[in-house]
Amino acid sequence: MNMFSSLMLASLSVLTLPIMSSILNTHKNSTYPHHVKNIISYAFITSLVPTMMFIHSGQETIISNWHWMTIQTLKLSLSFKLDYFSMIFVPVALFVTWSIMEFSLWYMHSDPYITRFFKYLLTFLITMMILVTANNLFQLFIGWEGVGIMSFLLIGWWYGRTDANTAALQAILYNRIGDIGFIMAMAWFLFNTNTWDLQQIFMLDPNLTNLPLLGLLLAATGKSAQFGLHPWLPSAMEGPTPVSALLHSSTMVVAGVFLLIRFHPLMENNKTIQSLTLCLGAITTLFTAICALTQNDIKKIIAFSTSSQLGLMIVTIGINQPYLAFLHICTHAFFKAMLFMCSGSIIHSLNDEQDIRKMGGLFNAMPFTTTSLIIGSLALTGMPFLTGFYSKDLIIETANTSYTNAWALLMTLIATSLTAVYSTRIIFFALLGQPRFLPLTTINENNPFLINSIKRLLIGSIFAGFFISNNIYPTTIPEMTMPIYMKLTALTVTILGFTLALELSLITHNLKLEHPTNMFKFSNLLGYYPTIMHRLPPLANLSMSQKSASLLLDSIWLENILPKSISQFQMKTSILISTQKGQIKLYFLSFLITLTLSMLLFNLHE
Amino acid sequence: MINFIITNMSLVHINIFLAFTVSLVGLLMYRSHLISSLLCLEGIILSLFVIATIVVLNTHFTLASIIPIILLVFAACEAALGLSLLVIVSNTYGVDHVQNLNLLQC
Repeated sequence: MNMFSSLMLASLSVLTLPIMSSILNTHKNSTYPHHVKNIISYAFITSLVPTMMFIHSGQETIISNWHWMTIQTLKLSLSFKLDYFSMIFVPVALFVTWSIMEFSLWYMHSDPYITRFFKYLLTFLITMMILVTANNLFQLFIGWEGVGIMSFLLIGWWYGRTDANTAALQAILYNRIGDIGFIMAMAWFLFNTNTWDLQQIFMLDPNLTNLPLLGLLLAATGKSAQFGLHPWLPSAMEGPTPVSALLHSSTMVVAGVFLLIRFHPLMENNKTIQSLTLCLGAITTLFTAICALTQNDIKKIIAFSTSSQLGLMIVTIGINQPYLAFLHICTHAFFKAMLFMCSGSIIHSLNDEQDIRKMGGLFNAMPFTTTSLIIGSLALTGMPFLTGFYSKDLIIETANTSYTNAWALLMTLIATSLTAVYSTRIIFFALLGQPRFLPLTTINENNPFLINSIKRLLIGSIFAGFFISNNIYPTTIPEMTMPIYMKLTALTVTILGFTLALELSLITHNLKLEHPTNMFKFSNLLGYYPTIMHRLPPLANLSMSQKSASLLLDSIWLENILPKSISQFQMKTSILISTQKGQIKLYFLSFLITLTLSMLLFNLHE
Repeated sequence: MINFIITNMSLVHINIFLAFTVSLVGLLMYRSHLISSLLCLEGIILSLFVIATIVVLNTHFTLASIIPIILLVFAACEAALGLSLLVIVSNTYGVDHVQNLNLLQC
């Protein structure tokens, strides 16, 4: 009897303490945010112990606590599945959240509702933990919806701003469309496997799993912002930077990918769904990378970068490598959260300036932020032996050497190259060159909260990949032998992207201003997708439903079919046929002509 | 046909017939004033009266000699009617241009 399950439950339940303290009204004092941050750090340290036990012994645990209800033959209970995925994800998520909480102590320092902010972030973390440790689909759905709701509340944090409200609503609507797929999958599983428990589903191994897996793919499309349901992610940058760092880069948006990873035993056997996933991920990663090239808001570029990396994760699932996708989730959390935090530091230092065209020359003014931004970008692009390399390079290698769709592979490679391009763009615009911001600056990065949190994630971005990939047990065997050009593909396209972007950026010092080309407009306006899809289908739907609901019965069936149609028809045809114009002279003339003609005819027929 | 008329009719007949025809054409083809049409109507009635009188007198058809008188009576009524219509049109429009009479169109 070891302390595995107890420690894990302790770590998870410790997170709920600050929420319950609102009953005792201790959340009104000003040290509440510090309490929250401390509790998360304790939870992180506590959860390290079960993780290390798991890595050492490889035992998986399922904690099935409380039998909630039985509906005819379906038994619903509270059960936590502590297997490879959740055991590694929980410490990573807690570590990243700890750093983000400390960062938001600095970032949201002047916000009067900072305690509420921390409570929201904590609630989000709890629902995310529910999601990843869920053993049945019902509990997963609770966590799923919970992260959606908290995302809504947090994106719309500054609710006085119209754009923030529309962005929050957009997030909810797009997630809802994905939830339809989730519920369809739940219904299918209920009908065909009589359960929502993951163990039973995998044991039964149903044959025709096209429909539920399509539903789960739709859910992942909605939650992880794949192509078709993607516009909410760049719009979600209306929320404060800690929200973007936590939700929309590390934790919430990977929920969709996590769901697909959980169902990998079913997806291994279904080639159709794998191809669909692969193509969806490929098109997402390329499209969002193209859109990221010409954005001017630093947070939007990083948001598109997140979307592109999510597409890469979906591609990895599509080539039947769920463990690699999971590794990429864990490593991506580190450097993406750090990138967001660096951008938050830049934004606050330049007095809330988010446009990269108004930044510049921060290389010397903010050295620490510069360092972490560059290291984060290098980790993102997969520089050898930083964090991103261990997952991203493996993904590209495996994709290259597997029997897969060549178009999807090409798209992924181009998107990898574009990753380097937009990272260079951020570095060039924000850090290099001469300053383009106002002379009266408030540049100050000397706060210990900021420095410590970014420092932690910096160490994580450099070493976490090495650390994690050396300590996990081997699951799928990576491809060991391949031609040297395939081995170096990822590195080559990345270096190509870097050089190209740097060259182009340096040339822009000498160019004259040109009007934007069509390609630029396509990329800047996100491929016109939000412009079309947010206006045309709602208008068509609403006008059609209004017409059919109100006009159809009353005005058409009761009025127009017989009475008005008869009268209209009669009037039109009578006007068409009649020649009465009131021209008396014509009538007289025709009478005369008739008379003359008849007399001529009458007398000339002899 | 024209040979037939010339060989069987005298000049008087042609004269009267032509007076009738000219007035008929004048009734049916006019420019714009309604009153010219009414004038030609009077011309028609005049020529009809002359034709009726000459035929009755030449054929000594005494019993039919009331016809021209009755024709005159009816002509007077009809002229009065026509003139009253003219007065109404002139009251509404000020002039008696016939292109104003176009209310009955659809």
